[in-house]
Amino acid sequence: MGDNNKKGNAFTNNPIVRAIGVQKIVVVLVIIILALFFSAMSPAFRKYPTLVSLFDYSYYISFMAIGVTFCLITGGNDLSIGTGMICYSLFGGYLITKMHVPVAVGMAATILFGMAIGVINGFLVAVLDIPPFIATLGTMMVTRGLGSIVTGGMSISWPPANAANGWFRSIFKIKGDGKMLPVGFLLVLFLVIVMSIFLNKSRPGRYIIAIGSNKEATRLSGIKVVKYQMLAYIISGFFAGLAGIAYGATFQSIAPGTGAGLELDAIAGAIIGGTSMTGGVGTISGTLLGVFVMSLLKTGLPFIGLQANWQQIITGLVLIVAIFIDVLKNKRAERR
Amino acid sequence: MTKKAIMTAALAAAMLGSTIGAATVSAEDYSDVNIEIISKGFQHQYWQAVLLGANNKAAELGCTINFVGPNSESDIADQVQMLDSAINASPSAIGLAALDTEACLDSIGKAQAAGIPIIGFDSGVPGAPEGAIWANAATDNYAAGELAAEKTYEAIKDRIPTDGTVVRIGILAQDATGESVVNRGLGFIDKMAEFLKADGHSVKLEGNDKYVNDATCETSDDADVIIETLVPSAVTSELSAIDCQTLLNKDDIIAIYGSNQHSGEAMVTGNENLMKFGQDEGQIIGVAFDSGAVIKAAVADGTFIGAVTQAPVSIGEHVVELACKAAHGEDVADVDTGCQWYTAENMEDPEIAPNLYD
Repeated sequence: MGDNNKKGNAFTNNPIVRAIGVQKIVVVLVIIILALFFSAMSPAFRKYPTLVSLFDYSYYISFMAIGVTFCLITGGNDLSIGTGMICYSLFGGYLITKMHVPVAVGMAATILFGMAIGVINGFLVAVLDIPPFIATLGTMMVTRGLGSIVTGGMSISWPPANAANGWFRSIFKIKGDGKMLPVGFLLVLFLVIVMSIFLNKSRPGRYIIAIGSNKEATRLSGIKVVKYQMLAYIISGFFAGLAGIAYGATFQSIAPGTGAGLELDAIAGAIIGGTSMTGGVGTISGTLLGVFVMSLLKTGLPFIGLQANWQQIITGLVLIVAIFIDVLKNKRAERR
Repeated sequence: MTKKAIMTAALAAAMLGSTIGAATVSAEDYSDVNIEIISKGFQHQYWQAVLLGANNKAAELGCTINFVGPNSESDIADQVQMLDSAINASPSAIGLAALDTEACLDSIGKAQAAGIPIIGFDSGVPGAPEGAIWANAATDNYAAGELAAEKTYEAIKDRIPTDGTVVRIGILAQDATGESVVNRGLGFIDKMAEFLKADGHSVKLEGNDKYVNDATCETSDDADVIIETLVPSAVTSELSAIDCQTLLNKDDIIAIYGSNQHSGEAMVTGNENLMKFGQDEGQIIGVAFDSGAVIKAAVADGTFIGAVTQAPVSIGEHVVELACKAAHGEDVADVDTGCQWYTAENMEDPEIAPNLYD
C-alpha cells in the first residue's frame, strides 16, 4: 500500500478519494454530467415523472447487477440472469394469475426458482468445473425455453395495481392522489448496503473475493472453495428472482422467449461500476452507480431525439471506455 | 386454465376429427393432408386465437396440422430454420406468417421447387417468387391501418389548430421489417395525410426511415402536422415504453397510435407515470391495435379511445382450409379476414367480442 502512495498524484492520494475509490468518483461525475446534459437539452427530462420512470426501469437491472457482481468477483460470470429473470417472472405470474395462489407465495416461488437455477449454475461451475461462460450460457438457453413451457408460450401479466392482489406493486411505487413515490429505490439502497456489508465484512463474502483473487491459494489455505463459489451463483439466482418480481411490477406483460441481452445491461453496469472481469475486485455500491449510468443513457438519449440505433452505439462506447479504464488499472498494478 | 382446457379439447377434437370427422363435414376428404404451419410464435394471445381457429378447422376437415413458431418475434433466423425443417418434412402444404419476408425468400424458393404449396397468413409474403404463395389468409393490414387513422382523425379533427401551429401524431411500431406492422403504419400515415389534406393541413414525416420513405402521401417541410414513427432498436417492453414516453413528453403531441399488441401494452407502461392518455380536453388520444387483457382494460376505462382488432380465429380457420384445398390442387384465392374497430361501448357486442382475447 505504501508503494501506491508514491506512484499516485495529489488527487488519488487524498484519503477520502482513496476510501471511496477513484473509479466510483469518476462514475458519480459521469452520472452528474449526464443528468445535467439531458436536463439542459430536454425540458421534459427534468420532470418528476421522468425520474420515476428512470427508477422504475432501473430496479430489475439493479437487482440482476447486484447478484451478478458476486459471480464476477469470483472470476466467473452469470449469463442466465436475463432470460432467467423472465422465466422466474413468468412462473410466479402464472402461479398468481392462473393457479390463483396468494401473491406472497408467487413472489416466494419466483425467488426460489431463481435460487434453484443458481444452485445448478453453481454446481456446474464449482463442482463440475465447467467454465462459467459456457455453463451459464447453457442455463440461459434452458431458462429461455423453460419460461415458454411454463406458460404454454403465452405472455403473462402480474396483477394490476388496482386489483385486490396488486399490493406488491407498492413495494416499488406508491401511487395515489396523482402523487408517486418510487419507494423501490429505498429497497435497492437497503439491499446494496446489506450486500456490501456481506461482501466486505462477513467471512463468506471475503472468501468470495479471495477466490476471485487467487482460487488456488484460497483452496490451499483450507477454505472450501466449492461451497463459496456455489454461494455466489445462488446469490445471483436470488437476485435474478427478485428482478423477476420487479419486472412483473413494472411492465404490463412478460413475453416468453425474451430477456436475452438484459443480462448484458446488468453485467455492463457492474463493470462500469468498477467490478473487474478477471475477478477479485468489485463493490456493490459501484455496481449500483454503473447501473445508473446505463439507465440514464437508456432513458435520456431518446429525450434528446436520438434514433434507437444511436442509443445502442453510445451505450456500447461507454462500456468499452469503462473496460479500458479497468485494463489500464490492471496494467498499472502489474508495473508496480 | 379454461383456455388450456379449451385448447386441449380442441386438440382432442382435432385428433378425433382426423379419424371420423372428415367424411361427414366436408365433401372432399382431406385426411391425407398434413400441413406444417409456421407462425410468429405464441407470445401474444392473438396467436393462441389463431391456433384455436386452425385446430377447429383441422378437426372439421380431418387434416393433420403441425403448428410451430419461434420463441419470440425477434427470432427471424429461428423462424427461417423452422421453415426449412418444414420443407424437409415434405408436407402437403405449408402455412407461413413470415417475420421477415426477405429472410424467407430462399426457403420459399426451395418449397416452390419441391412443389409444396405455401399459404400466407397474418402478414402476406410479398416479393415472393411468382406463384410460390398460392393464397393469403390475412388481415388487409394496410386497410386496418387506414381504419385506425379514420377513427383517430375523428377524435383529433377539432384539436388541430387552423392558425398553422404545429401538432404531432405519434406512431409506435414494433419493427420496420414485418409486413403486417409496417403496413399498419403505412396505411395509417397515408390515410391520415389524406384526411388532413382534405381539411387544408399539410404533413411532414419524421422518425424511422422505412416509414418515412415508404409512405406514399404528399409531404412538405413546413407542414403544420408532423407524423412521427418510433421503432425501438430491440423489441423489449422497456425500450418501447421509453419511446412512448418520448412522444408523450413532446409539447405538440395530440395522439399516439400503437400498431400491435406489444406497442399497445408499451403505451400503457409508458403512460403509467405520466398519465397523459385520455379523452378530455388537453389529454392525448391513444389508439391501439389487437387486444389482450391489458389493452382491453385500457379501452374499457377510457385510457384509449379504442383499438382495431383482427379476426384471429378466422385467420386460423382460413389458413387450414386454403392449405387443404391447395394440397388437393383446387383453386384458391386470397381471403381478407377483416378487422373491426372496438371501443368501450361496443366491445361486448356479439360480432366483436369473439375476436377480443385475454
